[in-house]
Amino acid sequence: MKRSDAGAGEPMDESDFAILDGIREIFGQADPMPADLPERIRFSLALRDLEAEVARLVEQEDPRLVAARGAEPGRTITFDSDSLTIMIRIDPNQDGTVRVDGWLAPRQRREIEVRTAAGALLVASDEQGRFAFASVPRGTARLSVRPGERGQGGSGRPVVIPALVL
Amino acid sequence: MVDEPRSVTAPAGRPDRNARIAGMVDEARQGSMDALGQLVTELSPLLWHTARAAGLSSDDAQDVVQTVWMRLLSHLDGIRTSAALTGWLVVTTRREAWRVRAAGRRQLPADHEWFSVLPDARPGSDEQVILDDQRRELWVAIGQLPQRCQELLRIVAFVPRPDYQAVAAELGMAVGSIGPTRGRCLAKLRALLAGGSQR
Repeated sequence: MKRSDAGAGEPMDESDFAILDGIREIFGQADPMPADLPERIRFSLALRDLEAEVARLVEQEDPRLVAARGAEPGRTITFDSDSLTIMIRIDPNQDGTVRVDGWLAPRQRREIEVRTAAGALLVASDEQGRFAFASVPRGTARLSVRPGERGQGGSGRPVVIPALVL
Repeated sequence: MVDEPRSVTAPAGRPDRNARIAGMVDEARQGSMDALGQLVTELSPLLWHTARAAGLSSDDAQDVVQTVWMRLLSHLDGIRTSAALTGWLVVTTRREAWRVRAAGRRQLPADHEWFSVLPDARPGSDEQVILDDQRRELWVAIGQLPQRCQELLRIVAFVPRPDYQAVAAELGMAVGSIGPTRGRCLAKLRALLAGGSQR
């Protein structure tokens, strides 16, 4: 029986590259990158703080998987950085804006900023680590936790999370 | 259609592109947002397809691509060449994608859902493109490959050709001493394509 991978290990030729070109074309059409993704990334990077810890997405509940059509329930997203876990819940307001509730763990008082195309909003978390933005415009938003006082389980470094689409 | 034979080890334009990318990496390291933005434009599609090939949903893939670019900022010091940049980005994207997938409690997207989405299977799309027979054959053949091969080939197809060798090595594919070699997955695909034409 002929080996199905005969020719493996030989130098690649033009037909190989033509096949790869074909694969690129097919996937580029079948499952293209969202056109606005690079722009959102540039937005994130422009607001970066080299000193900052970057929190990473841990978990995201996708409402489309759990909710019936029509009612738009809150979305809960958890991010982790070296020093902090940040959980946020996004709920739509009647007026088209969204409400963002958040929790910091370990619980601590910190200033939290959310930056959108319309400007920046600043709130502080309470001793339980809870914070809330009652009304944030929809669109791309960047949330960051400002540096806290060292000690008390907190870190002196700011923490940023990837840009979100609210 | 027969293309002019071209050297695979030194494709035309390679020195230009490598120098251009390395220059942008240098500028990005010195804080140029413009240079960084150009790298984002040029290489994000590769990262997107890498994340999607790993089985992430669209939302998760977008988050992962974004996270990888953020993390690059603290790794720019060790990256001097186009190949090193592309290699780092692909490997980091895969690692992040696996991490997110492992952490997700929710149902994963159906086994590579994009395979059911033939580009011409969406009626009414303005972007509708009728695949020619060649493309259709290729699509069918890819679908017959083991999942790992589908993933590797999808990633590799978006790697800029000059960086191919470095990325193939990072992905654990064999690399010859002179230039990139045909991996097993590509060899399998060629066998499937050859078999198809004998029908």
